[in-house]
This record gives sequence, C-alpha cells and structure tokens, in this order.
Amino acid sequence: MSLNIPTAPTPPSPRTVSMALFAVGLLVVAGAAIAATSVYFDLRPATTPGDLTVTDDLGRTVTVPHDPSRVVVLGPSILDAMVSLGLRSHVVGVDCYVPAFGGIDEDYSAGQIANWSLSPSMCVQVEPLVDEELLNLTPQLVLATTIVSVLDVETISQTYHIPVVMLQPPSLSGIEVDLDLLGSIFGVASQAQAVNAELAAGIANATAFQANLTDQYPPVPFPTVLVTYDVDSNGYWTYGPGTFGESLIELASATSISANATLQYPELPGEEVLADNPTYIVYGTGFGLTESNFTGAPFWSSLSAPSDGHAYGMYSIYLTEPDPTMILVGLPLLLDLLHPGWE
Amino acid sequence: MAAVAAPAVPPPVRLRVGRAAGLLALVLGATLLLSPILGNVAIPPGLVVRILLDHLSGGWLVSSPCAGFAVSPRLCAAYGEIVWESRFPEVLLALGAGAALGCSGASLQGIFRNPLADPFLLGISSGATVGAALVFDFRIDLSQANLALPLFAFVGALATGGVILLAARSRFGSVETLLLTGVALSSFLSSLLSLLLLVNPTGSLQVDFWLLGNIGDGTWSVDGIVLGVLLITGTLLSLFGRELNLLQLGNDVAQSLGVDARRVRVLVLLLTCLTTAVAVAFTGIIGFVGLVSPHIIRRTFGTDYRIVVPGSAVVGGAFLLGARDLSVWVLPSSVLPIGIFTAFAGAPFFAYLLYRRRSRSPMGAV
Amino acid sequence: MTDPPSPAVRLSGVTIRYGERVALAGVDLEVRPGEFVALAGPNGSGKTTLLRALLGFLSPDAGVVEVLGGEPRSVSVRERARRVAWVPQEEGARDDVPLLDYLLYGRYAQLRPLEGETDEDRSRAMGVLAEVGLADRAEDGILSLSGGERQRAILGRALVQASPVLLLDEPTAHLDIGHQLDLLGRVRSLAAVGRVTVIAALHDLNLAARFADRIVVLSRGRKVADGPPASVLSEELLERVWGVVAELRRDRRTGASYLLPYRPATPAPQGPTSLGPGPVHVVGGGGTASPLLRALAEQGYRLTAGVLNLLDSDHETAQELGVPCTVEVPFAPIGPEARARLRGMLEAARAIVVAPFPVGPSNLSNLEDLQPFASRVLLLPRTKNDAWDFADGAATRALAALRSAGAVEAAGPDGWRTALNDRLDLAPKPA
Repeated sequence: MSLNIPTAPTPPSPRTVSMALFAVGLLVVAGAAIAATSVYFDLRPATTPGDLTVTDDLGRTVTVPHDPSRVVVLGPSILDAMVSLGLRSHVVGVDCYVPAFGGIDEDYSAGQIANWSLSPSMCVQVEPLVDEELLNLTPQLVLATTIVSVLDVETISQTYHIPVVMLQPPSLSGIEVDLDLLGSIFGVASQAQAVNAELAAGIANATAFQANLTDQYPPVPFPTVLVTYDVDSNGYWTYGPGTFGESLIELASATSISANATLQYPELPGEEVLADNPTYIVYGTGFGLTESNFTGAPFWSSLSAPSDGHAYGMYSIYLTEPDPTMILVGLPLLLDLLHPGWE
Repeated sequence: MAAVAAPAVPPPVRLRVGRAAGLLALVLGATLLLSPILGNVAIPPGLVVRILLDHLSGGWLVSSPCAGFAVSPRLCAAYGEIVWESRFPEVLLALGAGAALGCSGASLQGIFRNPLADPFLLGISSGATVGAALVFDFRIDLSQANLALPLFAFVGALATGGVILLAARSRFGSVETLLLTGVALSSFLSSLLSLLLLVNPTGSLQVDFWLLGNIGDGTWSVDGIVLGVLLITGTLLSLFGRELNLLQLGNDVAQSLGVDARRVRVLVLLLTCLTTAVAVAFTGIIGFVGLVSPHIIRRTFGTDYRIVVPGSAVVGGAFLLGARDLSVWVLPSSVLPIGIFTAFAGAPFFAYLLYRRRSRSPMGAV
Repeated sequence: MTDPPSPAVRLSGVTIRYGERVALAGVDLEVRPGEFVALAGPNGSGKTTLLRALLGFLSPDAGVVEVLGGEPRSVSVRERARRVAWVPQEEGARDDVPLLDYLLYGRYAQLRPLEGETDEDRSRAMGVLAEVGLADRAEDGILSLSGGERQRAILGRALVQASPVLLLDEPTAHLDIGHQLDLLGRVRSLAAVGRVTVIAALHDLNLAARFADRIVVLSRGRKVADGPPASVLSEELLERVWGVVAELRRDRRTGASYLLPYRPATPAPQGPTSLGPGPVHVVGGGGTASPLLRALAEQGYRLTAGVLNLLDSDHETAQELGVPCTVEVPFAPIGPEARARLRGMLEAARAIVVAPFPVGPSNLSNLEDLQPFASRVLLLPRTKNDAWDFADGAATRALAALRSAGAVEAAGPDGWRTALNDRLDLAPKPA
C-alpha cells in the first residue's frame, strides 16, 4: 500500500496576503475615521438660532429667538403658565399628556379646556418623545419639564437645532422665577409681574393664616393629614419631603404623616397609616381614580377620618404640577378642606 | 495505489456563497431606500424617495423634492427634516445595530459552542442598564454633549465586559467559569439597578423604556459612531472564522491543530464586548437579533464560521430593519420599543426554524 | 563515526501528577526519527498522560519533555501543531462539517494568519481522502460517517497536517479487523517511508507486536519494558502488568510472536487442594469432566486438566476451580505446544482419570498421548456403542490400546473412587 504523503506545501503568493492585509487595514482605518469624526461632531456644543441667551431651571445656557411665534410646550404646568401670561396663541404643540387628550378631562373644568381650544393635531407624544410629531410642527422653541428625558432634550437641541428651555421649578418660589423667564423671552415682563403678584398674594394669605395659628397661646396644633394620590393592596402612595405636595400641605398649615419619609414618593403601608390615624385624608382624583378606589383601600373603614366625614377628594393635578393654578386654585382648596372658614 | 484520477474537488464555500451575497446586497440596498417611507407622520411615499435622492445625490438627481406635491414650504421643510434627520438615520441605525448584534452573537455562539448564546450572555446588558439608570435618575448631562447617556451605558457595558475578560485571561478562564461569572454579574447588577430605580420614578420610567430597546434616537453622528466601530470590529471578528471553526472540535483538538484557545477567546470576547457595548449604548437592549441571525445563516449556508460571522451581521441588520419597518407599519402613531417587536416576531420565526424538518444528517442531534 | 541522529522525542525523568495521584513517575524514553513506537499498558497506566505531555497540554512536575529538540510548552501553539499531529481517541464534533473541509482543518498550522486555502491545498486534501478510502464522501457531513469512518477521517486530517511526529491514541478502537490492519499498515509505511515518527497507544498487544518497531510498556506510571516486540512480549510480562495468564505462541506464517491470553490470573485457591493427594490429571471435554473435577476438588485432590479448548465448559469449570489446564484455541486441532505441555502434566501426575468425552480427529491426541502413561490411567465407563467415537474408530482403538497397556476400567459410576485411591496408592512415589 503506497502512500501519497503531503510534502511541505509551496509558500503562498506574497501578493495575496498583502492584499488581504491592505483591505483589512483600510476597513479598520475607515471605521476609525468615521467614528472619530462623528464623536467630534457630537461633542461640539449645540448651536441654536436666536439672539437671546437665558439660563433655564436646570442650569443650562440656551440661545433662544426673541418672542417666537411657534412654540411647543411639553408639560401641562408650562401650558398653564403660558395661558396665564396670555401667550396661548404662540403655542402650536402640546404634549399628549395634557388634559383633553388623555381622557382625563375631569382634572380641569370644562371651561378651561374650551378656553385652551386644543386640537388633536397639536399633540406630541413625550414618553417617549416621537421626533417626527415634533418636527412636523416646525417649532422655533421648545419649553419642557423633566418628563422629557435627557437624551431627547439633547436630540432636539443638538440634532435638530431647536432650542429647549427646561422649566422645572425646584420649589414653589421657582414658579415665579419661571414666569419672569417666560416674560423676558416673550416680551411680556409686565404681565409676568402681575401674575407673580397674584401668586405672592395667595401665598401671603396662607402664611398670614398660619401666623394666626402659631401666634396664639397655646399655639393651635396643625391637623395631621394624609394626602394620597394612589392606592394598592399594600398601602397608600403619598408625597414625601421635597415635593410640591408636601410644600402645599405645609403652607396649608397641616402636618403630613409622611413628612419624615425617606423617599420622595413613598408608599405608606396600611398599618402605618392606621397607627398614625390622621385627622384628615385628602385623596387625589383624576388619572382614572375615583372615590371608590380609595374606599376599598387597606384599613379604610378602621380609620377615623372617613367616618368623621374628614375624607375629601381633590384633583391631584393641583398638587403635582408647579404652575399658577396650583397656588391660585389648589392652595385655597386645600385650606378650605383642612381649615373650613379659614379666611 | 495506482495513478487513479482523484474525484472532482468540490468548490470552496466562498464561491457557493458569492452569488447569494450579491443578491442580498441588492435587496438590502432597496430596503434601505424604501424603509424611510414608513414613519410616525404620514408623508407621501414619492415625496420621501425624492427627498432621499435629493440629499444623497447632493441635488444632482433631484433638486426641488416637493415640486408636484401640494405641500406648503413650511411643511416641505418639516418633511425634509423628518426624512433626512430622523428617519433615514434611524434606518441606518437599525442596520448598524442589527449587524453589530448579529456578528456578536455569532462569535459568542462559536466561542461558547452553544447555539443559545447571545450578545448579552455575559451580563453586558445589565452593566449598560446600570449606566443608563444613573443618567436617567440623576439627569446627568455633560454640558451640551449629546453623549452622556451612550457614554454611561457604554462604560457600564465595558466595565462588565472587563470583569469577564479578566476572568478569561486568568487560570479560571474556562467556558463554564465565564458563563457562571456572567450569571453572577448579571444578578448583582440587576439588584443594583432595582435600587437605583427606587430613587426617581420618572427616571425609572425612562429606564424601563430604554431597557426595551429603541432605535428612535438615530442621528447622523450616532450612525457614524456605530457604523464606524462596526466596520472595525466586524472586520476583525470575521477574521476569526477559521479559529472558531477549529474551536468547535473541542479545546484540546483545536490546540493540537494550532489554535491557542485561550488567546482566541480573549480576543473575540474583547471584540464582541466592544461591539455589543456600542450597539447597546445607542439602542438599549434589543433581544433576539443576536440569537436568531446566526441560526438563519447556519441553516442556509452551513456551519463554516468564516461565512456565519459576516453573514450574521448582514442578516442581523436586515432583521432589525425589517422589525423596525414592521413595527412602524403596524403602529404608526407611536414609538413601539423595538425590543418588543423583535421578540414578538422573532420567537415564532425561531420556532419555525427549529421545528422545520431537517433533510439530512441521520446522526445529527436536534 | 557520525553521531547518532538526535531523537525526535525524548522524555527524561518525567513525572506528572494529578493532585495526589501520580500519573507518570520518572519515565525515560527516546524515540528516533522514523520509528514506530507502540505504547502499551493497562487502563490508567499513563499512556494518555504521556501523549498529552508530548502535545504540550501538560507540564511535567519533574523532568524534561522534548519534541524535535524543544520543549512543547516553550514554543507557540501553532509551532507545536507544526511539529506534532494528533489522532485522538474520540472527538466531540457537533456540527456537520463537510468532510473535505474537515480534513483541511489540518492545514491551519501551516497557513499564515490572513492566508486562505489554495486550490492546491484542496486537491492535496482530496488525495489524502482517497488514501484513507473516503474520497466518495468528500461532501458529506462528518456526522453522517460511522465511528470507523470518522476515525479514518481524523487520521486523514493528521496526514494533511503533515507534521514530523504523529501521535495516535487507540486509533483502532472502532475499526473492524480489516480496517485495523489497513490503518496500522499505512501508519507503518508512513514511519518507514516518510520518516514520520509515530507513537501510538495501542491496547491490542498483538497488533502492536505486528506493526511497531518497538513496544514501550507502562504500568502505573512507570516504564516496565522497552524494546522490540520479540524481546518485550512475554507471558511473565502479561501476568505481571495486566494480571492475565497467557501463552506465548509463534505465528507460523509471519514468524512474529503473539500472546494468547486465556484467563485472568486468579490467586491460588486456598485449602486442602494444595496439600491434598495427587496430582490427578483429568482428561475430558464437552462437559463430561466437570462433575468429576468438582467432585475431586471438593475432596481435596490436587488437579490438572487438559487438553481442553478455550470455549469448552470443562475449561470454564477448571478455571473456576483454579485447576491448571492445558488449552488449545477453538476449532483447531491440538498443536505441538499443547501436546508438549500435556506431556509435562502427565509426567507429573500420579493418576490420570479419563472422562467419557466425545473424541474426534482434533482431540484424538488426548487419548493417544496417554499411551506411555497407561499404567496410571483410570477410564470412566463409556457407552458401549460408538456414539462418542467421531474418529472413524481410531478412538476405540486408542482406548483398547490403553487397556491392553494397563489402563484400568472403573466399575460403575462410583467404583472409580475406590479405583482412584487404589491407583494413587499403587502408583510409584515421585522421585
């Protein structure tokens, strides 16, 4: 049996190997060049058209046009602010979360919605942001709250070169700052001052009432209250420290039983609420929730507030959206519930 | 043995594949041009194509795209912006990310000799998600730079991959140990993520959405980064085809044939980690693409990894592009996380592939 | 005087441990280029460990391993593959790789990183496929081959690798006898003609003796024998290392030695048989001697038996009882070696009992050889008709000859005991 033993193979043509190396090298270099160029373009600061430079609530410096006629507003609180400044005609787009779109009409009075005259074509989805709907409206300025993600904000300003001003007041006083900012952008500073004066008066009223209570001897104790915006089988979702809801409760001369919670939006277990047994309960309606959701909540029947007739419903949007309506409508309403006949 | 003429030598696999590849390239090119027709805002298809041709040819083929369409100048500008700055880059991102996931998945299936491996096998997805969660929760914003989120996700993914790589280079770098390390890392990072999500509800909503995978953030610079990196890593990964072939025979046999199994493992892991990290940084976690694409190639062209790895890139890109088109066509008014769609469409397709009757191999396992 | 060529493979005092267990202990081995060395040894003796050390999979805990002048672990993995090709015992291929591509895997070490396979490579590989008899399966998947075909394919891949050293681990395990001879013949030619150094772990000592230049025997990690087959193969080796009792024969046609193993070495049975009366030699076959052997063993007689063929149930009984037995291969006439051993047993026996076994031409010598010892013979009763004589009457004549020379007929089924005891008393005492 003979054997065909493979002898040492002939060396390959050097040309084939070097051609392959060249091709690989070319691809690698091309890839690196493309990637590097893109990173460079991405890292350059966003340039947006305009002649006015402002600083928004998140500390961003933005160049905006003066008194733009096409503005998209992403966040219900901003729409409210714009309307209060008489700037409704500048608004060409709103986020779909705004009432009159999402089936939550009962949060605002029918009059308010009719007042705004919003049409479906103005709707821009925000969570997540649908770029195309925004671009379709060709806005010159976008006003947004933090419901718009960081990425989307940068996409709007960096990629589409549309200025974005973030209006997310950190506290109640921030609402007035925002109104002044809008006043300077749209040239309605005096209107802004007027609205701010109203807000200041509203807060002053509440503060004066509180002083009344604390100046007495002995000082009148603040009633305990649970303000809850959602329930499930475990407990009650409420406002913790650092939230607008909490600020309003304090202004309304009451003590929230969740004032010392660790999270901003904690869920209090039913047992804990039962132990604290607040004098008042204010439950939030709207967002698909009604009274029946809360009457079936854990230990509801054992709590004293409902049986004493101290459990009231209130549109929770008054406690969450930092805008003029919160102070002009929400605060007085809360005071009415917790301190009847307070004025 | 007498000088009998040896039987005809069968042609090498590259010739068998060449024709099919050409056809696929043509189909892909056509799909690329036509996909931007589908989107959230209704734009006449003819107008879309004209806008594309206008931009692609620098005004040479088509100069005023809106001519002949009853569209106001403002709307024309809007449509032009939508198609060229939003849709076409999104389509390219789908292609690029799909290709990245495809060739990553194929390489990992080769290294681990496991047809169920996918690019997220080693916990890279968890690391990326933790990075993204940090950005969303604390609204980290690198002063005007558009790269905060992708950077954090990328670093998160790479950090996880780095741990795996360290394990791979150590004495304990066997395939089994690597898998277990990945599992442990995933668990740890998942619990870290849950902790982060408790802090900020809005942030957690945004993370959840990101987790499901989306290509809506495709812009030209994103495309450049993804495609640029893909060009590098995809090319390099394809060069390991021969080594992957030999590794299928087992570590010992591969070693006896001249393949340094450990070195190949480390290099391939490095490249797939990079590729996956880049894809994940810009698109979130898109499942199924990396898992299914290699199987499609294997069933069509055989198990030669010199074909499977680059082929999976092509199939992955086409798959994700198809998923994007399908999701937009089915639900034009919203942005459906594409990860949902790839699973929705991918799972039945995968089942079909698995249970289709095999024609040969009497001794082959399932 | 020219220096002897440097060895292709050298192990110097190599010790390898797996934790507490010593797999190789101080092994020295030199293999010259072009030699075919067979590694033999029972399971766990260290054959596979030795091969793995040559492949560079293991580092020795002591000693030096050299392949082509260098330590395997000091060169790159690619270089190792260029020096040593391996045909493993089993391979877990999972994908249905086309056979030709599978063989081309062997070319990997020769190719440079970006280099592809040329058409010349492919036709060479086809040539190798033809050599191993699988040319018509070139496009079939590896999983569609039978175990034996796959083993040939793996050998083909090693041939494509074209390395100067070839290691084989039980390459004949799944092959039928024809392919075993074919494969080993090819490997031998490879060594002789192609100057390839071959080291093969083989479990079949006879195949090793037939094809290898040298046999190296390992036992519990130590080298216990190293040399040409003729000098290595011995009955003593087989019993000492494998614990098997065997007989060394010489193949009439090839002149090669071969071992005929016939039973595991059992420890000597305890008890009275070692001190009992005897030795009594029992002649039988076909199961006729079994009751006799049992009865005698029970009563403590020292026994021998023969000539029995390996498949005979009497042989089984003899083995069971630990009775030394002269054997012959089945279906063969009793050969001269067996007859010589029988003669030895007969000379040592003080009494010979002949059971009523069927006699044919092949075991006729069992009766004829008793003639010189007829005075010690005790014949158990047979049926009068010739139902047991298949030798055309030669058996009857042999028996008659025995009787006339002094053999005693036992009277009845139990009469033989008395006769036997008489016989033992009357027989001359051993000198």
